[in-house]
Amino acid sequence: MKGGNDYMKGEKKRIGLIVTLFILLCIPVSASSKVVLRMIGPEDIGGAWAEVIRIFHERQPDIKINYISGPWSTDERQNMYIRSFLSGDPLELVYMDVIWTANFAQRGWLLPLDSWFPQEEQEKFLPRDIEASHYKKRIYRVPVRSDVGMLYYRKDLISEPPKTWEEFEHLCRRSSSPPELYGIVFQGMQYEGLVCNYLEYLWGAGGTVLDEKENVCLETRENIEALRFMKKIIEEDWAPRSVLTFQEQHSLEFFEKGKALFMRNWPYAWKRLNHSPLKGKVGIVPFIRKTGQRSAGTLGGWGLGIGRGIKHPEAVWKFIEFATSDSAQKILHMQRGAVPTRKSLFEDTDIQRESPHYKELYEVLLGSRPRPVHPDYARVSAILQKHVSAVLVGIERPPDAALAMDRSVSSYIQGKKLNWFRRLAVDYDLHKTVKNTFLFTILSVPFELFLGLCFALILNAPLRGRAMNRLSVLIPWALPTAVMAVAWQWMFNNPFGVINDVLMRIGLIQEPLNWLSSPQGAMFAAVFADIWKTTPFVTIILLAGLQSIPKDLTESLSLDGAGFPKRLLHLILPMLIPFIRIALIFRVIHAAGIFDLIWVLTKGGPADSTRTLSLYIYDLAFRYDELGYGFFLTSLFLVTLILTSVVIIKTMTLRYEKVSK
Amino acid sequence: MKKILLYILMGLVILYCLFPFFWTILTALKPSDEVFSLPVIYLPKTLSLENSENVFSKRPFGRYILNSLIVAGGATALTLWVASLIAFHLRSLDLKKATRIQRGLLIGAIIPPALLAIPFFVVLAKLMLVNHYFGLILAYAALNLPFAVWMLHAAFRQLPKELDEAALMDGFSPMGRLFKIFMPLSRPTLSITGVLVFIFCWNEFILALTLMPSQLKYTVPVGISMLSGASVYEIPWGEINAAVTLTTIPVILIIAVLQRWVIEGLTTGAMKG
Repeated sequence: MKGGNDYMKGEKKRIGLIVTLFILLCIPVSASSKVVLRMIGPEDIGGAWAEVIRIFHERQPDIKINYISGPWSTDERQNMYIRSFLSGDPLELVYMDVIWTANFAQRGWLLPLDSWFPQEEQEKFLPRDIEASHYKKRIYRVPVRSDVGMLYYRKDLISEPPKTWEEFEHLCRRSSSPPELYGIVFQGMQYEGLVCNYLEYLWGAGGTVLDEKENVCLETRENIEALRFMKKIIEEDWAPRSVLTFQEQHSLEFFEKGKALFMRNWPYAWKRLNHSPLKGKVGIVPFIRKTGQRSAGTLGGWGLGIGRGIKHPEAVWKFIEFATSDSAQKILHMQRGAVPTRKSLFEDTDIQRESPHYKELYEVLLGSRPRPVHPDYARVSAILQKHVSAVLVGIERPPDAALAMDRSVSSYIQGKKLNWFRRLAVDYDLHKTVKNTFLFTILSVPFELFLGLCFALILNAPLRGRAMNRLSVLIPWALPTAVMAVAWQWMFNNPFGVINDVLMRIGLIQEPLNWLSSPQGAMFAAVFADIWKTTPFVTIILLAGLQSIPKDLTESLSLDGAGFPKRLLHLILPMLIPFIRIALIFRVIHAAGIFDLIWVLTKGGPADSTRTLSLYIYDLAFRYDELGYGFFLTSLFLVTLILTSVVIIKTMTLRYEKVSK
Repeated sequence: MKKILLYILMGLVILYCLFPFFWTILTALKPSDEVFSLPVIYLPKTLSLENSENVFSKRPFGRYILNSLIVAGGATALTLWVASLIAFHLRSLDLKKATRIQRGLLIGAIIPPALLAIPFFVVLAKLMLVNHYFGLILAYAALNLPFAVWMLHAAFRQLPKELDEAALMDGFSPMGRLFKIFMPLSRPTLSITGVLVFIFCWNEFILALTLMPSQLKYTVPVGISMLSGASVYEIPWGEINAAVTLTTIPVILIIAVLQRWVIEGLTTGAMKG
């Protein structure tokens, strides 16, 4: 650019300013001579961790522990750790849930602790907790607190607690009287807790998820039996229907009100129950099992590990050693109700006085089982959650669910070992989501074009109030998709939604439909909302097209006696072709890439029936930590979309257009 | 007779387009026992602002609005600035070349944002800009640039060539020409482009979700979609509808005022793809 010197100078200054600002924003503030070690945990209610850290600071004055209060959600805290590892500034102290261990270890984010934590020291801890701390024969964490699923029962109502499914069934039939007194409450919402519940039935039936050679064993009689039994609990009204929305806290509140004979929950509930009207009326036993099988509670719990690539691993170990010692665990137990991981503490007189039920709890802990120790556990769990939930809600039959679980998990585990191209062929979720994406596009786009054309024709008619009309058509387009998806969720709600109400009033349906919780209903709702949202876009484009048709052409045709249908067919549609083409390309591409609407409206559920490709790719990248494969699918998807557009352009270009170019 | 039919059809179209919006407002104005009443109550018996107040007092909704304003405002400013520079340069090229460059840009603009989330995330994570206003602003600017360039280029082209010469005579540098002459003269296009870009950014969801994952950085659409309670029975539908209403009303007002230009901008923007 000639004579642009001033401009270049001014420009350089400006760019310089922006870069400086940018750098300033990125510099982390840090200045301290002490060794500072950070850890993230839940909010420290009761101050137990503060107490442990205070004592540690007294003993080791040159180490400072910085306890960061993270969110309650364990997923969110896991993400905080992952982000810290990925960003190259790992947190020193890794306070982790038992199910993160394999994943973190496999990614190389943790230091093995074998040299500090020898075999004879490990033997002082509960055996199951130690087992779950290993990955590929090396140990990566020291257990701080243990946790196990078990059965609470009402001692005052039941003389002999059930051991087997049959005894349980008998007791429910005899003693429960819903809706005043149900048989059992558990955690039935679609989340990690549901898998913990499900695994106890699966193990209790003699089944397992992965065998020693990591083969998937879910298409089995045991799995079908476990799913059937869980379904039966809901169908026979032994559990209230609302358990399908319960997490731990909800179950506890329900049980606390004395409205159920049994509850499946973790040890923490005991303390609260003994400060409630049920004091002394509640007992604990290992979870129920099938006759002839062994009972097993799901092992939970938290432990401490060391982030790899940090400066002072020795200092971190000093804290871990202290925080898992007898005295620290005792503080955590007394102030926070944490279950200790050292065997000796179960004999401790103080703890026995505080928690007399620990003798029974110890037995349950010895019989517990860790969830599958696999680096991709999060993904496996997501698959299990979905199908167990689908069975409980009643949209999948147990044998179908068992089959789908097996295929889905094994295609995933196998697929990870293959290269990306081979993986395409076995990726069960990919096939399912591509099918859904296709279905969604095919159902929504033609309607949008048709309705858009109708609207454009109506709006183009010389009527009064056209401005108002055009404004109202613009509105759906201008509103945020994600926000309006929430509005549609409310309108499709059962029973409070307006759509059911309108349909019932005009007599189209007899009783409210479960729009969003049945596969077909959810797909219909998504398509319907998308049509509403995007028809205006088509209308505006086609309206511009209609206005480009010369008035005299229309008039001369009418004078020749051509009615509206004839004019539409021979003049309007041909003239509109270029506009229709553009609308079509835009709509196909955006319908195929749909994300916002479905993510908010149905989250891809129920049982994956509305999960489209974009949702799957998003999950791959941001939930399953497979950025590479997700990126690969994105590229393929993009190429497909471009090819589709080319095909549309080629097939929809009229001959005269080609000539004129 | 035909006219009446057309009016009826037009009425149906309006009803269809506006119903979800009206229903949201009606729900937002109901006290919570009327929200959850069966059979459904259509017109609220008592009007209450309880829901709207709760949105601000019980949740950080004010914070979400602030985040949205910062991001959408910042992105609009950045987009307009960069787009004018590009459009200014395109104007100095001959029309054919300029059109070809623009076509290239517009192909990028048609990609659904869901497919851009991963690449954006990877790049911004490397720059340590995830969870940073500036990161999302950059992403939005990149996303809206093709559209803005198109609009501004069309406007700049309309200005007569003689204007350049006159400016050169008066000793304006090229940047001076752009900022002191071209931009003021194209003010209508600049403002409509700005409004549309602002609306696009205000509405955007997936990038906001992935690039600003911490709760204090949620924009309004992300915040609203996360408003659900822990179970079906706890979802605060009244408050959610109030939040939806509060987010959508400003957009609707803008659209109502600028209707004609919005339609023009949208069609030119879309047509040239």
